[in-house]
Amino acid sequence: MGSGMSGPTFNIDNGYLEGLVRGFKNGILTKNDYLNLVQCETLEDLKVHLQSTDYGTFLANEPGPLAVSVIDDKLRNKLVLEFQHLRNHSVEPLSTFLDYITYSYMIDNIVLLITGTLHQRSISELAPKCHPLGKFEQMEAIGAISTPAELYNTIIVDTPLAAFFLDCIFVQDLDEMNIEIIRNTLYKNYLEDFHAFCSGLGGITADVMCEILAFEADRRAIIITINSFGTELTKDDRAKLFPRCGRLHPEGLAALARAVDYDQVRAVADYYAEYKVLFEGAGNNPGDKTLEDKLFEHEVKLNVNSFLQQFHFGIFYSYVKLKEQEVRNVIWISECVAQRHRTKIDNYIPIY
Amino acid sequence: MQLCVVRLLLLHVLGTVDQFLIFFTRSARDTGMANNRNCGISFRSEKMSRIQLFLQHDAAYACIAEFGEIGLIEFSDLNLSVNEFQRKYINEVRRCDEMERKLRYVEKEAQKCIPEEIRDMGEDPETPMPSEMFDLELQFERLDDELREANSNKETLSKNKLELMELLQILRETQGFFADAEIALNPAPQGSEEGHTDPGVDALSPKFGFITGVISRERLASFERMLWRACRGNVFLRQAAIDLPLVDPVSGEVVDKCVFVIFFQGEQLRTKVKKICEGYKATMYPCPDSQSERKDMAAGVLTRIEDIQTVLSQTEEHQRRILSGAARNIRVWFAKVRKIKAVYHVLNLCNIQKAIVAEGWCPSNDIDLVHGAARRGTERSGTDIPAIINTMETTKTPPTYHKTNKFTYAFQAIVDAYFGHGLIMFLFALWMILNEKRFNAEKGASEIWLTIYGGRYIILLMGLFSIYTGFLYNDAFSKSVNIFGSSWSLENTFTDMNVTANTILTTPTIQLNPIYTYTPNSPYPLGVDPVWNLSKNKISFMNSYKMKLSVILGVAQMMFGVFLSLANHSYFNNKINILAEFIPQVIFLTSIMGYLCVMIVIKWIKFDASVSAVAPSLLITLIDMFLLKAHPHDLYAGQWYVEKILLVVAVLCIPWMLLLKPLVIRAQHRRSRLVRGISLRSVPIPLRF
Repeated sequence: MGSGMSGPTFNIDNGYLEGLVRGFKNGILTKNDYLNLVQCETLEDLKVHLQSTDYGTFLANEPGPLAVSVIDDKLRNKLVLEFQHLRNHSVEPLSTFLDYITYSYMIDNIVLLITGTLHQRSISELAPKCHPLGKFEQMEAIGAISTPAELYNTIIVDTPLAAFFLDCIFVQDLDEMNIEIIRNTLYKNYLEDFHAFCSGLGGITADVMCEILAFEADRRAIIITINSFGTELTKDDRAKLFPRCGRLHPEGLAALARAVDYDQVRAVADYYAEYKVLFEGAGNNPGDKTLEDKLFEHEVKLNVNSFLQQFHFGIFYSYVKLKEQEVRNVIWISECVAQRHRTKIDNYIPIY
Repeated sequence: MQLCVVRLLLLHVLGTVDQFLIFFTRSARDTGMANNRNCGISFRSEKMSRIQLFLQHDAAYACIAEFGEIGLIEFSDLNLSVNEFQRKYINEVRRCDEMERKLRYVEKEAQKCIPEEIRDMGEDPETPMPSEMFDLELQFERLDDELREANSNKETLSKNKLELMELLQILRETQGFFADAEIALNPAPQGSEEGHTDPGVDALSPKFGFITGVISRERLASFERMLWRACRGNVFLRQAAIDLPLVDPVSGEVVDKCVFVIFFQGEQLRTKVKKICEGYKATMYPCPDSQSERKDMAAGVLTRIEDIQTVLSQTEEHQRRILSGAARNIRVWFAKVRKIKAVYHVLNLCNIQKAIVAEGWCPSNDIDLVHGAARRGTERSGTDIPAIINTMETTKTPPTYHKTNKFTYAFQAIVDAYFGHGLIMFLFALWMILNEKRFNAEKGASEIWLTIYGGRYIILLMGLFSIYTGFLYNDAFSKSVNIFGSSWSLENTFTDMNVTANTILTTPTIQLNPIYTYTPNSPYPLGVDPVWNLSKNKISFMNSYKMKLSVILGVAQMMFGVFLSLANHSYFNNKINILAEFIPQVIFLTSIMGYLCVMIVIKWIKFDASVSAVAPSLLITLIDMFLLKAHPHDLYAGQWYVEKILLVVAVLCIPWMLLLKPLVIRAQHRRSRLVRGISLRSVPIPLRF
């Protein structure tokens, strides 16, 4: 695999797509765009401004009045179209790499559907809410299953997620806690597998991607720990959910497994310079940024940095993630504008 | 001194494949009179003036509309600090967007239903005044409403029809499945007559439940597998493809579907199967148990389909009527709305005070036209205060504007073509040019066509010059034409070499010696003698001939390019570029390629048929020149010395071209820093007195 991946030979297979994605990246909204967007009085204003950006006429065929959900759909749609174009023109190993990106959406979709059916929602109502990148054929038959074993045997077994599910097969029944466990176990196995795949690719791809995925793993470990306080999740079960491909592995994860409150998590993070800053900058007072936002900011930084290097796959991953962040930002601003609740309108995470 | 432009087009053929169009222009600088309007183009942009316009509020719209018609002003944005959505006329722009959206919808529907009726006569409607905008809006609104209503009716009806069709198919196809099932359950009717009953069959048969439905064909395989997995093989699926084309009511596309029957036992499996059917977007239909009921139902469904079909055709007719009215005008409407929108876009660039102030660039020579347009606009709006147009002094860089863009913007290299191909090309281009008006109006053509169409003038010229070249090479569709009679004759050969007319008929090949067979005083008047086309060495002769021509024309073209850069350097008074780029480039080119051209000409002149045996090969000569070898036959006296000098000069040019300019720039940069007293790593320090 390594031979076609480095330096001059990279362009034989992937040069076109790399150029394309760098072009896409230039369309990402800048700080200036956001400054203009937060000044909007109505969603129509927002539409006018977005028309002058790379989004162009993406809302031109929507009859007014605009709803935030329509904007959300259209923003997402643009990313999906771009991604599918990239995927359709890619060859191995890039196509597998791109497929790996979609797996995370598949996990989210499965969990969304199971949770939905648990709450007696019909599949036809839930299906449109699924992320289009993570759609797969068997997905909507989830309504027919009732236990994790069934879920595996009828649905997941045919998908690429099958290998990630093996740890969950012993979970007894589907309640909310178990669904969370399934989600996090799937995610953990997915991240570890993706991490191993990227290391296998070697070269700059490995350098860039392993750093990003390591952060993703650590972020999940930290968030899982913080969210588990006050729930019935045991420490042992919690430790099983930590992805073991980050910087925290193994000492940090062991310490996290013992943590019982926020301050102890913070104490663990203090040993890692880059995470220490994030915890220091976060707070719960009004005007402070939340830890979650700080983590997002760090992720954005890593993803922006991946564009500083050439001849690697990391930019494809980073582009998708940056664009996701952008969609979150625009939706946040749209919601603030639509609900006329402007005090927190500046809480978006600018990319440049 | 009058500015004159001589355009000379040379068509030149390299080998037999590539073809280049050389656009050769020589221009003399205009030194005296400024108003040489009809002098045509030079390579420089038109002289541009910065103008400032003061327009009355009432007249601004009409004036800008008129400016749009003449298309000679580039407006500058005077509201750079204002957001797009905070500008004065943004609401009008939005209204135009809305109108465009409705028109797009109408166009899309018309394109679907009656594409042949969308007409484009190339009309260019006048920009509607703002007061007309309301009428247009109202009109489009009504049209949009009517069409949407008709469409939704049609969609509902088609959906009903589709469902009934599917149901009918189920009733028909399942007939076979149920028959099979009955045979399987009651294997032999005579067996039961004999009193031999199978208790197992009786016990089983009432418990079997079934679900019938329709699923799209591409999902069937996965659906079947899912059923098997989820029900652990306890269901039995029979399916049959529907051959009828079913049309999806929303997208209007034809979809392939399958009828299926699933047999199972028990209520639990029924719920499970149902959920899977829902998950796979299969439509389920109720199907009666007994054959007679199915038959009755099928008959009922058939009548309902007919009823719906009647209503559906009426709805479609209604929709068609609405659309055909719109289709005739849609292009004009689009043009109108876009013009209004463009005017408001320009108004948004203006500074709005007591008067509307606009700034922009326009060609200095055309200011009169701008004045005229402003006058027309004022008249049209009915105000009596004229617009004021000032020319401003400015240091801003003007935009580049070339007048005869029709000719130059599309430059494209096309196909090789001599006379015959050239004629086709010429006629094709002529056709495009003659129909220019119609094509210009045609929007949405394919990219390839637009490229060709955009290059119609070039294609015309290429065609013309290909015809000319075809004459020169005596080649029309690879055949030569003997118009004037060949200058080669065997008559002399008959006497001198003792051959007779019979020899020609018996000998397959005859070698013609030009000394005897060619009549030197009367060459073939135009192009290559047609006799060459019959000869065996046609290809080697023509290749050598064409190659030499190509080299000469190619070098001329390169030289021309270099001299173009001289014109640019001297325009910007850039001495360093002339000294460090232009001069060494010329010397380099002349001393190698130029020298080759000279040798070609010498060879043509010096060697006639009597001495052609000792003529040196120029290719080898050039290679030997670089390898510092002596030539077996000199082309002229002192060739060795001349070539060594040229070679040394050419080699010296390389560092001259590559090194001199960067070094000079570096030196200048250092000097300027020294003067301003700025060191490398510090911010500029303000001078104090």
